[in-house]
Amino acid sequence: MYHLDGTDVLNEKYYRKTASLCPECLERIDAVVQEEDGKIFMIKNCPEHGDFKDIISSSAKYYKWTHYQMKNKDGTIAWQFEKDGEANPADCASDDDRGCPYNCGLCNEHLSTCSLALIDLTNRCNFNCNFCYANVQKSGYLVEPSLEEIDKIMKHFRSKPIPAPAIMFTGGEPTVRKDFPEICKMAKDNGFKEVIVATNGYGFQKKDGGLEWTKKVYEMGLDTLYLQFDGINNVTYEKTRSIKNLMPYKMRVVENCRKAGLSSINLVATIVKGITDIEVGNIIQFALDNIDVVRGITFQPVSLCGRITAEEMDELRITNADVIKEIENQTGGKIRMDEAWYPLTTIVEFGRLIAYLADVEPVEFTCSPDCGFATYLVVDPDTKEMVPIMDYFDPLKIIDFANRFWDKVKHKEKQPIKFFEGMLGDMGKTLDTGLNFLDKTQLRARFLLGMLQYTKKPGKLMEMFSRLLLNGDWESVSSFTHGTLLLSSMHFQDGYNMDIERVKRCIVHFGVAMPDGSVKEISFCTMNTLHRENIEKQVAKKITKKVKEEFDTSTGQTREEIEQEVAQNGGIRKEE
Amino acid sequence: MVDELIETKDGLKLRKLVELKTSTAEEYQNAMLDRVEYFKKKNQQKSVFNSTIQNTVVQGLSTILDLKIQAEKALGEENMKKVHDFLDEFLLFGL
Repeated sequence: MYHLDGTDVLNEKYYRKTASLCPECLERIDAVVQEEDGKIFMIKNCPEHGDFKDIISSSAKYYKWTHYQMKNKDGTIAWQFEKDGEANPADCASDDDRGCPYNCGLCNEHLSTCSLALIDLTNRCNFNCNFCYANVQKSGYLVEPSLEEIDKIMKHFRSKPIPAPAIMFTGGEPTVRKDFPEICKMAKDNGFKEVIVATNGYGFQKKDGGLEWTKKVYEMGLDTLYLQFDGINNVTYEKTRSIKNLMPYKMRVVENCRKAGLSSINLVATIVKGITDIEVGNIIQFALDNIDVVRGITFQPVSLCGRITAEEMDELRITNADVIKEIENQTGGKIRMDEAWYPLTTIVEFGRLIAYLADVEPVEFTCSPDCGFATYLVVDPDTKEMVPIMDYFDPLKIIDFANRFWDKVKHKEKQPIKFFEGMLGDMGKTLDTGLNFLDKTQLRARFLLGMLQYTKKPGKLMEMFSRLLLNGDWESVSSFTHGTLLLSSMHFQDGYNMDIERVKRCIVHFGVAMPDGSVKEISFCTMNTLHRENIEKQVAKKITKKVKEEFDTSTGQTREEIEQEVAQNGGIRKEE
Repeated sequence: MVDELIETKDGLKLRKLVELKTSTAEEYQNAMLDRVEYFKKKNQQKSVFNSTIQNTVVQGLSTILDLKIQAEKALGEENMKKVHDFLDEFLLFGL
């Protein structure tokens, strides 16, 4: 936040207009985002349902920093965390006059491409968490795309001018599907660089066959688990998942991944005030203790669905700023709120530059700076202590240099050198290819030297970072991440805090195969707040014999029966 | 897993958080180096880690970094700022 020190920004009250939804009727309404008492609030009024006020950030200083605009001498914006994305062409017409977010599909109001494609593989689950939005028991119908439909969705995402590099399977619990290994292979065959599953661990933890199954999905193409992980205490899971003694279940997932060589688990903690926010330090320590297989942690402040009172809102709402403050508190000040954390958008130009120089697909993090924050923990070669990666670099200098560099060379991406082509035809093209290679080589050398001058520490990790800058290739990226722990905090929106300007920049998109043969691409937050029920009713299917033969939560099992199923499959003794 | 625990009234065990335990710091580096070995074996000659040219370049950069860190200590903060400003302009010159 040292951007702001010494500037007038800290003294000015933050204020901006935007659009939002009424959490009651989900109609689009005007809203303002403004500072009050050192915090940032969204305030809005629905003509029919009255006033709404929700906290966006518990730290106005932090929020103002993420919306800071570095100005040139002439007053124009030199740099800001909010980035313009390179959007793919629209997939659908903007038929609804109300505009965003009612035309999701995607429509031409969207400003970013998809960096992470999501497919709900099923709404069946072996758990029955009370805050989950996708659950067959609550909805009363089955949503489960066929293999052909899944393939169609994957091809939709990969065939865009800027294709999605990564895919995540979500649910329900995706691993209850018996064809899950084939789906992983299908994703790799379709060209996704990173194949991820969001899971409570069901398929991986089975006492009978869990290890073999883990090996199989790894061989078929699964790269990473987003493992639901609320804490290290059984009593925490009793509160969040209503299931007793769940830690042995989670530990079996970690052990089986370790044995199978699947060394990329990202722990995902849903942060609920007073329940899991007190576990953030424990979770970080758990990750450090299992660093051979745990690559990162994503903290997700809980989204509030359904109608709640203002008092309940005060009690339940927790923001990204609360989470990263809690992390600072629970790590003895090691991971500092004011220095360690950066919005995901920080590395946009940096990523584009590396992708251009290394001739690889770019990964665009052009979401809103409000979406999430991240930092890396790395080993300090001098002290052998874990420190935020910002201790390795002068982050502002590196960002500034990369931005200025990209600003000067970005035209070359679309207009490569064509010096000889006009004079010598095909021979000239070959010579131009050589010229472009030499040009990129000298650019790489300049960029690397620029990066090195703002690097503070030597060591193996820096060698790997140099490789990453040189190649931008998967081997270097993967090896670099194995030497670090990525911490991030992602706050998904709900009807109370939805900011339409943020929605337009969403980079996490669901894909749904519709009955008419089209594929709808819908941004994450609007899917869960606005579109899910309507879409699911259109694609809902009958419960078939095949489904019943698999792990079946679709026939109205009682909570006790589900717990018993989990106990049988996971070895959890209910009576404990 | 953790040495000092506080137990709340409802049985929640919380780590007494003074500082992160860093005894596994070496393992981080090992995890990264294991990954390098994995790619070397899996991708053979196609692996960037088996490229002699690239390994030489990376070693060269590592040496430059070592020299730069030593130079920074010798020159002091003010002088280094001037050097950085000059290098910035030099590296961006002509682009």
